[in-house]
Amino acid sequence: MSILDIDERILQVVELVDLRATPITDLKEPDVDGVTVGILEGGINNTYNEEVALRMRERCKILVALGDCAVFGGVPAMRNFCGADAALKRAYVDAESNDSEGFIPSNPELAKMTRVRAVSEVVPVDLHIPGCPPDADIIFYALVELAQGRIPEIKDEKLSWQ
Amino acid sequence: MIKLTIDGKTIDVQEGTTVLEAAEEAGIYVPTLCHHPQLTPYGGCRLCMVDIEGARTLQPSCTLPATDGMVVNTQTEKVLNARKFVLTLIFSERNHFCMYCQVSGGDCELQNRAYDEDMTHWDLQPNWQPFEVDASHPYIVLDNNRCILCRRCVRACGELVGNFTLGFEERGANSLLVADYDIPLGESTCISCGTCVQICPTGALIDRQSAYQGKETEVEHHVGVCTECSVGCQRDVLTRDNRLIRIEGEWDADLNNGLLCDQGRFLPLEDDRPRLLTPLVRKDGSLKAATWDEALKAMAKGLGGGKGLAALVSTRLPVEDLALFKSLFADGLDAELVTSLEEGKATASLAKMAEKLGKPFEASLDALKDTGAVLSLELDLVDEHQVAGFFVKRQLQNGTRLFVADSNENRLSRNAKVTLGLKTGGEVQFLSDLLDAIENGSEDKALNETAQVLKEAENPCIIYGEVFAANANEKALETLLTLADKLGAALIGVKGDANSMAAAQLGLEAPFKSNGFKSAFVLLGDEDPSQKLVKALEDVPFVVAQAAYSSQLTGNADVVLPVTMWAEQSGTYLNLDGRLQQAVKSLDAPDGVLTSQETLLKVAESLSIELDPDWKTSLIARVPTVEIREA
Repeated sequence: MSILDIDERILQVVELVDLRATPITDLKEPDVDGVTVGILEGGINNTYNEEVALRMRERCKILVALGDCAVFGGVPAMRNFCGADAALKRAYVDAESNDSEGFIPSNPELAKMTRVRAVSEVVPVDLHIPGCPPDADIIFYALVELAQGRIPEIKDEKLSWQ
Repeated sequence: MIKLTIDGKTIDVQEGTTVLEAAEEAGIYVPTLCHHPQLTPYGGCRLCMVDIEGARTLQPSCTLPATDGMVVNTQTEKVLNARKFVLTLIFSERNHFCMYCQVSGGDCELQNRAYDEDMTHWDLQPNWQPFEVDASHPYIVLDNNRCILCRRCVRACGELVGNFTLGFEERGANSLLVADYDIPLGESTCISCGTCVQICPTGALIDRQSAYQGKETEVEHHVGVCTECSVGCQRDVLTRDNRLIRIEGEWDADLNNGLLCDQGRFLPLEDDRPRLLTPLVRKDGSLKAATWDEALKAMAKGLGGGKGLAALVSTRLPVEDLALFKSLFADGLDAELVTSLEEGKATASLAKMAEKLGKPFEASLDALKDTGAVLSLELDLVDEHQVAGFFVKRQLQNGTRLFVADSNENRLSRNAKVTLGLKTGGEVQFLSDLLDAIENGSEDKALNETAQVLKEAENPCIIYGEVFAANANEKALETLLTLADKLGAALIGVKGDANSMAAAQLGLEAPFKSNGFKSAFVLLGDEDPSQKLVKALEDVPFVVAQAAYSSQLTGNADVVLPVTMWAEQSGTYLNLDGRLQQAVKSLDAPDGVLTSQETLLKVAESLSIELDPDWKTSLIARVPTVEIREA
């Protein structure tokens, strides 16, 4: 969602690209016969995220990890220090705001939680853009470069992990 | 001289220079983490690896001595890859996620080094082993999750401060930074000097007071002298939006090399005494807020002059203020008593001796830096003048012997080789006995050992403080000088508050005995008045107090004038070994609060007295105990 931080400049980006799929358009998955650039936000937290990452890797020529969660695991990765079970119990059972009937959701339709990983731990990543969130100017710069067939250089003042 | 080539640049360096230092001299940057200019090279982090022609592997430049004909490359692909690899290993060892760290965004050396290498990410993930955070200390938080095991803090605690509180337990990835034998830092032998926090390259040691209040890029720096005691350490006061954020020691300072004590670093930020913001005048028995004009009029009416007037000034104030004070009360109002709140206890006897000798007889604190033996006379460097105590304590690991002679329990004696009893008033006897033991030996085993070690030691030092200066008569000082002469020892007089010596130079050293004074003017500044002073002033019918904070003394006064505190004024300070140093203004004073200089000029104007602003002449007019020099 940080991509929206570039505000009206998104219109300039749209002019340069053929937007194939996003979580907020009708098409949620990239074309089966492949796209040029795919951008992943967020770390790999469960089995569904793994599937998405594998599919993106398969269909995107250049895969970009955008934001600290995708690059490092981010805030959700803090649960790795206590484990998924303890994190679920704390959230659904022990939290002060829960009533006495709190329980951990166990619907088989739900994706299974895993250790939180950076995208690059699951599939190879071609470009990392860290930041929590990455600055809008950096996102815009990266998108414009990618749209024009160049690999953006994330360094110096464009490199920030927070 | 050694000739070596670094990145194609040939330079000459002194023998014993490391490759890292040689690179610095050649203007070539080599990144480091565990290295610190004030510490012995350690070679722990391996970030400074360089390629040496002919060497089988990359070598750490911080510990490698330069040799003649050496050819060094710092920018080969092998070196650059190694740097990234070292950083990756460090990042992947513990919780080095920058987005929730206090020092992230400019203050973290680990993060900055990674940025330098254009690292957008690291390839290895940590093993997610959490460590407990130790938040038991009033000022410091110790978080092993952020630790990179560089041991800068451990080395600083031992090498620079001589306290040896911090250490490591376990090995490898399980290594834990602990205090003493793994007890909470807050219950340990930590003396809260904060050097470990200042030297930590990451967020493993942070201070509570300034956490999350402003990064390096968001604060203003004000480098000046610490006004907490007469050692006169150079410090950097960090402010943001006219608020104190943090105080750090100045690494480049010749005197303290970055060190401060808790009184210089942490306590000023804890000050919660109620501030005085307007003049107060006693009306119908109680103090009421008044305008400056009303207060000055009330003061002029009650203060009088000549006999019956006592004027007392804090030695925490700049020389400029002390000189104007003297000019106003001694020359202008001809007051019966013009003195400092210290009453010359730490200086008067010594100043008289210097006058008698016609030359300074004390040495610089630098003498402590390469001394083989120290004799401490009636001086506890653990509570007061702590940084001078660090100079002594840290020498002990190099074989320096410490001898403590005191009439009271002395906390420094824990570190002493021999502790000698010294009865108050028995200074002459003690020094004569020691002198005799040096010349002829002594039956007394402890005294004999002291004498023998002092005699044989290189550059021995004798250091004494306020208690000794107050107790010592002329004979005691003469014996001390003979002793120093015999031993070739440096004498170091630890004075009182920040401008103790300046007050002595200006002759503000008379004792204050409340013998029927009719009025008194007390320029307290930000000093906390002693109970003795409060008591002594109770008998004085009319008291004017000029103070930054409300206290029992100001509560009893008849006219109270508000004044700036240390951070709100600039001025000159003369430390215990004669360095003239500047304190700089770091904060704007609250509206309506003036500096004591401004106030003294206002008071003088209201009394139609011309003040002499030249303090330099009067400062050097008297023979000083130690040579005065601009630092």
